[in-house]
Amino acid sequence: METLTTEMIMVMIMIGIAVFLFIVEWVRVDVVAILMMVALPLLHLVTPKEAFVGMSSNAVISIIAVIIIGAGLDKTGLINRLVGPILKIAGTSKSRVVIAISVTVAVISSFMQNIGAAALFLPAIQRISKSTKIPLSQLLMPIGFSAILGGTMTLVGCSPLILLNDLLEPFGLEPFGLFDVTPIGLALVASGLACFILLGRFILPQGGAESAEETSQSPIENTLIEMGEIYEIQTPVNYTDYREPVLVDNLKRRYLVNVLAMTEPPDFKVLSPTGDQEVRSDVHLLVYGRKKDIQRMVEVEEMQLKEAPEIFKGETEEGASGAVEAVVAPRSPLMGKTLREINLQDRFQVTPLAIYRGEEAYRAEIGDVPLAVGDAVLIHGEWQRLQVLQHERSLLFTTPIDVELLRPEKAIFAGFWLAVALSMILIFNIQLSVSLMTGALGMVVTRVLNIDEAYQSVDWRTIFLLAGLIPLGIATEKTGTAAWIAHTILNIIGDVQPIVLLTVIGVLSTIFTLVISNVGATVLLVPLVVNMAIAAHTDPRMAALVVGLATSNSFMLPTHQVNALYMGPGRYRSVDFMKAGLVISIVFIVVMIGMIKLIYGV
Amino acid sequence: MAIITISRGSYSKGKEVAEKIASHLGYQCISRDVLLDASERFHIPEMKLVRAIHDAPSILDRFSHSQQAFIAYIRYALVQHVKEDNVVYHGLAGHLLLKGIPNVLKVRVIADLADRVRAEMKREKISEKAARSLLLKDDEERRKWTQALYGVDSRDSSLYDLVVHVHKLTVDDAVEIISDAVQRTPFKTTKQVRQKMEDYGLACQLKAGLAHSFDNVGVKSEYGNVLVYARGNEHYVQRVRKKAREVTGKMSGVNELEVHAVQKLPLDVV
Repeated sequence: METLTTEMIMVMIMIGIAVFLFIVEWVRVDVVAILMMVALPLLHLVTPKEAFVGMSSNAVISIIAVIIIGAGLDKTGLINRLVGPILKIAGTSKSRVVIAISVTVAVISSFMQNIGAAALFLPAIQRISKSTKIPLSQLLMPIGFSAILGGTMTLVGCSPLILLNDLLEPFGLEPFGLFDVTPIGLALVASGLACFILLGRFILPQGGAESAEETSQSPIENTLIEMGEIYEIQTPVNYTDYREPVLVDNLKRRYLVNVLAMTEPPDFKVLSPTGDQEVRSDVHLLVYGRKKDIQRMVEVEEMQLKEAPEIFKGETEEGASGAVEAVVAPRSPLMGKTLREINLQDRFQVTPLAIYRGEEAYRAEIGDVPLAVGDAVLIHGEWQRLQVLQHERSLLFTTPIDVELLRPEKAIFAGFWLAVALSMILIFNIQLSVSLMTGALGMVVTRVLNIDEAYQSVDWRTIFLLAGLIPLGIATEKTGTAAWIAHTILNIIGDVQPIVLLTVIGVLSTIFTLVISNVGATVLLVPLVVNMAIAAHTDPRMAALVVGLATSNSFMLPTHQVNALYMGPGRYRSVDFMKAGLVISIVFIVVMIGMIKLIYGV
Repeated sequence: MAIITISRGSYSKGKEVAEKIASHLGYQCISRDVLLDASERFHIPEMKLVRAIHDAPSILDRFSHSQQAFIAYIRYALVQHVKEDNVVYHGLAGHLLLKGIPNVLKVRVIADLADRVRAEMKREKISEKAARSLLLKDDEERRKWTQALYGVDSRDSSLYDLVVHVHKLTVDDAVEIISDAVQRTPFKTTKQVRQKMEDYGLACQLKAGLAHSFDNVGVKSEYGNVLVYARGNEHYVQRVRKKAREVTGKMSGVNELEVHAVQKLPLDVV
């Protein structure tokens, strides 16, 4: 066996630092990746060229192209159009709703980013939940899990699989084809769904009709019922004559009523007025709040409540403004900041109305609540302003707001270019990155989306996370660290059956992905497991495949983007994910190993 | 229509001033009543309450939070009294306990140490040295108490609206000056002030209900919207939430209850 060199020790220290930073999150994960990209060449562990080779890797180019293609499909509303027919098939039975939407989401997420597929159906699921009275918490988790599982159905479904071929290259191993993983992915989706259908009542949170006493207190019920509405009110002519000045902020604090717009004499309209603006006599206010709060305010403040908006009729019409729920995404720059610091009111002229966290709804003094991942913020504003906010991409919008910006007439081009990209991969065997980039370019040329929109759609956090960690993988391999660790481990555990080795790798990948993100886990583990497999006379490609698949086995904690997205709206707690996630994670590993054995006969 | 708090050292004639103002204005004069009420309501021996509000926190108190709880009980009882308005309170720490009510005239009555020593010698029949040492010790204890619990020095005159030195000015002069001051606009009970009093009452009531089990909580209320701030981990906040729901369930006038987890308790909470 090789001896441990200084270089190996340094690589292991760097891995240790990376894992440590991933866990404590002093800086965001993509910054950790960039740190590796810079530190490794400085320590002479990789050459400067190798340090940045990730940027030009197939994986990075493929993911950029996949994101642009996804954005193109989104822009044409091609996928939105699926929603209607799917819902018709689904009907109102809970199992059918879950199956129909889950399968659709899984298929979409097999060639789009998982989070995109999950976000797409969220508003529709919310509507179904309301109309069929099936609690949202019963629907979202199976569907969210399906979105993650769907990512394993093709080689472009999720970042780890896109990355896989690049990581195999240094070993001279044969790359995987686009649909090589499909049978395994299908089995995973099917088994995941089966779990929820058969065991749903044991593993899903039962928020609702179970106990009568709980129901009256249950905040889940409250938030559904007590969502506010928009009202127009008018202050009396002598409103300011006999009372201390009343500010917009006072109404919010005293009655939990948000002022969305206000008239200002002679005939101006102020949208999203700031808290320090005074409420004058004989003005019209557009307010948002629960009926009982509005009534209390009107009574105490002697205002007049109108039956329907008059002055603000135009503003309240659908298509002009509305309220959206936006979720604080993992890696969001807003994490830990308060709404007062973020200052949406001044920067975007939109009004935050409430924060939903787990089973709690915050309405009073929401400006001082530090935001956490998974918090859903209810925001009201003009669609145009909300769009600007959405483009900033610090919040994930759970309601689609760019309806009028859709280009349905381009749907045919979008579909065409997707088909071109796929046939290039499948029929002509052209490399993934080239084929996908052709599709993306085609969409830009045929104006499905313009080049600026294409650039804007790319999530640089994902790109740098991928590109920055690739040199760490290279260093691990080049210095012999991976081989050394692999041999050491094998020496300790002795001779094992290939199937046992693969299972151990599956469990290891699952644990890694929960703490250090799926990309980080893939980059670190693939060189390691390939070495282990070679030494143990097991198929190294299968070992790598297990890592690529099992890094999607991220259900036990709400760390996966999709889980984080659904956590707020579903009012889930971490413990809910642990319960259902544990079952699904175990089933995942069993089914994955079983399928690999069945298909590849390991 | 006002509330007057008279802060005083022992033997500073503050009690006499308070009683005379009350009879002059036709106000209710309260002091020990508050402790009796709190003792009765929360089943705590009066002596313990007296110690909590008089003695600076001991090392032991820093580990247990009973003193905080006792003060919450006393404050609750005091607020119940002053809500009736037209009250002179000359018990301990009134100006601090009623921080959240706007129309409180906060008065500090002081006297020369020599005069105080003489008064104490006469009443307790002790030597001058003993009397002086007792008085100084008592003053020091008060200073430590306010410092430990409110972070302020009780001698700081900016804590009060009025500081009256009974020496050249007689007790009657003091009564006249204070009675005159309390007629001014800021001390009138307006509709707004009434609302603030109600809110402060709610906050103090909930705080008293929570104080026994939790020390890292702050409560405030505005127009019946009660906000509880809790400093601690998820589990702690969850427990506070449960208890707060239980307590507010039995209270009237609460419109909405929210429990927020915070890193640092805001300054304007009870």
